[in-house]
Amino acid sequence: MTDFADAWAFPRRGKRDSARHAERVKKAIRENLRDLVTDASIISSDGKKKIKIPMRYLDNYRFKHGDNKNTEGVGQGDSTHNPGDTIAHDGTGEQGGDNKSGDQEGEELYEEEVSMAEIIDMMLEDLGLPWLEKKDSAVEIETENIKFTDISEIGQLSNVDKKRTAYENMKRNAKTGTGNAKIKNIRPEDLRYKVWEIEKEYHSNAAVYFLMDRSGSMDDDKKYIAKSFFFWLAHFCRTKYNHVELIFIAHDTVAKIVPEKDFFKITNSGGTMCSSAYLLALEHIEQNHPPDMWNNYVFAFSDGDNFSSDNKKCISTVQDLLEVCAAVGYGEIDIDSFFGYSGSYHWSTLHDEFSKSIDHPRFLTASVQRKDDIYDCLKQFLGIETHE
Amino acid sequence: MGREYVLNAIADIEELAKQKGLDCFPTIFEFVDRDLMLEACSYGLPARARHWSYGRSYQHQKLYGEMGFSKVYEIVFNNNPAYAFLMNTNTDIVNIMVGAHVLGHNHFFKNNVMFKNTDRNMIFRAAERARRVDKYIEDLGLDKVEHLMDVGFALHHHIDWHKGVFRKKYPKKSVIKNTYKPGEFDDLLKFGKSKERCVKYRTIGEKLPPHPEKDLLWFLTNYAPLEDWEKDILEIIREESYYFYPIAITKIINEGYSSFIHAELMNEYDKISEEEFLEFAKVHSGVVSPGQKFSINPYYLGFKIFTDIKEKWDKMHERGESNITGIQKVIQVANEEDDASFLRNYLTKELARKLGLFNYGYKHKRKPNDENKNIESKYGIIEFKDRDLNKIIENILRPTFNYGVPLIQIVEVDGDSLILRHTDTTDTLDVKYCTKTMEYIYELWGGNIELHTHDNELNEIVYYFDEGGFSIL
Repeated sequence: MTDFADAWAFPRRGKRDSARHAERVKKAIRENLRDLVTDASIISSDGKKKIKIPMRYLDNYRFKHGDNKNTEGVGQGDSTHNPGDTIAHDGTGEQGGDNKSGDQEGEELYEEEVSMAEIIDMMLEDLGLPWLEKKDSAVEIETENIKFTDISEIGQLSNVDKKRTAYENMKRNAKTGTGNAKIKNIRPEDLRYKVWEIEKEYHSNAAVYFLMDRSGSMDDDKKYIAKSFFFWLAHFCRTKYNHVELIFIAHDTVAKIVPEKDFFKITNSGGTMCSSAYLLALEHIEQNHPPDMWNNYVFAFSDGDNFSSDNKKCISTVQDLLEVCAAVGYGEIDIDSFFGYSGSYHWSTLHDEFSKSIDHPRFLTASVQRKDDIYDCLKQFLGIETHE
Repeated sequence: MGREYVLNAIADIEELAKQKGLDCFPTIFEFVDRDLMLEACSYGLPARARHWSYGRSYQHQKLYGEMGFSKVYEIVFNNNPAYAFLMNTNTDIVNIMVGAHVLGHNHFFKNNVMFKNTDRNMIFRAAERARRVDKYIEDLGLDKVEHLMDVGFALHHHIDWHKGVFRKKYPKKSVIKNTYKPGEFDDLLKFGKSKERCVKYRTIGEKLPPHPEKDLLWFLTNYAPLEDWEKDILEIIREESYYFYPIAITKIINEGYSSFIHAELMNEYDKISEEEFLEFAKVHSGVVSPGQKFSINPYYLGFKIFTDIKEKWDKMHERGESNITGIQKVIQVANEEDDASFLRNYLTKELARKLGLFNYGYKHKRKPNDENKNIESKYGIIEFKDRDLNKIIENILRPTFNYGVPLIQIVEVDGDSLILRHTDTTDTLDVKYCTKTMEYIYELWGGNIELHTHDNELNEIVYYFDEGGFSIL
């Protein structure tokens, strides 16, 4: 009698292939970040929850019937019922038979759960606050960086150093036989792994100002975009930096500093004077965060329907802000106007005014037309390569 | 106690089985650990070309795998000799029972008509193929090979069982001359010359395919511009799919028969102690337990039908109405039926009533092609429908009908375009999945893909896939 485990000489494949599956889950998330960024169930989550990644991103695709076919099944039980009698509700009756009666149907039960933190990591790993400078200050903010510093003969497969492995392999091939230094038959002993160290980088203090337009023209769709952006920005700041101060400002014609939890629940009303928010931020910076000690960032979102009389004031305030900030970002939400006649009667939006009058490398603007643009907008604001 | 004890007991039981009329391949039993067992369950074969989807199933098995509704594992492979795995953490008596159960499967594989043409050397062939695929991965990279396998698995259930695994290509275009003898009344029909009527010219191979083609992978491997390694991998997937088809359409009868056989054999086997028998009875009742209100255990259903058959034919035999006994009838049924015919012929009204089977439906039907498949829209309120036997059988069989996939045929090659038709009217196609699958076919075919299907009201719709992507006409 032979023993399969020996006779088949195959490595245990289950673990290897399920690791591969896990990799694909991550890939699917990466590829669908654009959708996930605006996924309502994520935005409304508390950040600790595990979220379920919809199956449609991960399945074995094939021709498949729509949903109608599962609407009938066979059950068992003796009690007398009349046709049409309700016998169970949602959760209590698991979908009949499917999960036990065949592998094909069973597949549909697979669902992948991923923690919120993991997603944020994946989304924001390449991003950073731009033009962050080291400043003399009591409190420093620090970031953790992983740096590969050494090579080892043992390690995790995910950290294989391909170049060194190929080199070792060629060396071994050159030593044996014909003496040709070729890459072939890579063996375990050829593998070289990267070894890393965690490096702490210290930066100066940073303060990030969140400015949101809450005027009457900011309807639900627009607010959703602004809030999604700020949601990720807030998570980003907290995940990436240990010490960073977040200040939330909401404005219509007047601006107010609000607590974070209220900021994300804000309703809309009133006219729009964006300058009020910029002014408030400027005042706050001057009082609390002097630029010689702080990296200040202002990110504002509005639909640009500003009182035209206020535009000049906005421009001058933003110019003042640029004096005291590492960067100022302005995102304009450019979906169908609240008034519905923007097509025929087009007035100059704040965005147009800004681009006419301000030409500063650290003034960042973005126009968001669809929910899908949020991810690009995040990349635009935070993906700037500024490190020397 | 231990291995020797178990194997000796199984050998004794095999003798009993022979006396009952079972006819098995020699069986090789392997004692394996839980991990290897899980692997075998999720890969379907002890060594098989790697793919991430088995990894997913492996992980899933780790959490939920089971035999019937009890937590016992058994696996036996349709092969000559048959290989069966026994889990080394099972108690001896459980492994003896599993051994008896395996003999049932083994007889079923060897004698059931659906398995007649299956590859009895699949275990070794699959291992050899797995090595070949590993080599492709080494040469071409995992991503490339894995992607092609994704494509293969998207289409591998679209087989044509009646045409079989091994087929010749369609005949090339040629004119065939048929001559035949003049018939008795030909002279009445002819006008003028007589001899030419006896010769007929027929052009064949003009249309590709000559008839609507169900076996999508076969068509594509033969007629799409593919490289050798691509053909090889798709052919591997296709052949394995044919190997698994009979297993998919005999789940109830196969498990029912094997459970019936293990019960018969264990009841007759007298070399086990009372305690062991009690343990067997417990485990057995778990395996053939009815299941939940809305999901019927196939082991249970099949077991009940076979028990019913045996009782009936034993009585008929006693009364002289049948020249075969109950157990003989049971074996005959196991040899001749698949799930569909098994249920239609032997799940009687009385038995269905006795088992309390009924049809249920959902009051709040799911919207077709609902994009957000959240629980609320998926499951509404479950309502009792009726106890109509034909519908019960139809509902039980539906998941495995046509290997669980919609009926799709290749109907024509028009220039570079490949035209497919969705021919069943039971339901519409899931558009999201359809898009991706058409993209896969597009990749293989290298030309435009056209799929004719229908909406809920059965109006024809045409899906296109070309270089610009998916579109609906």
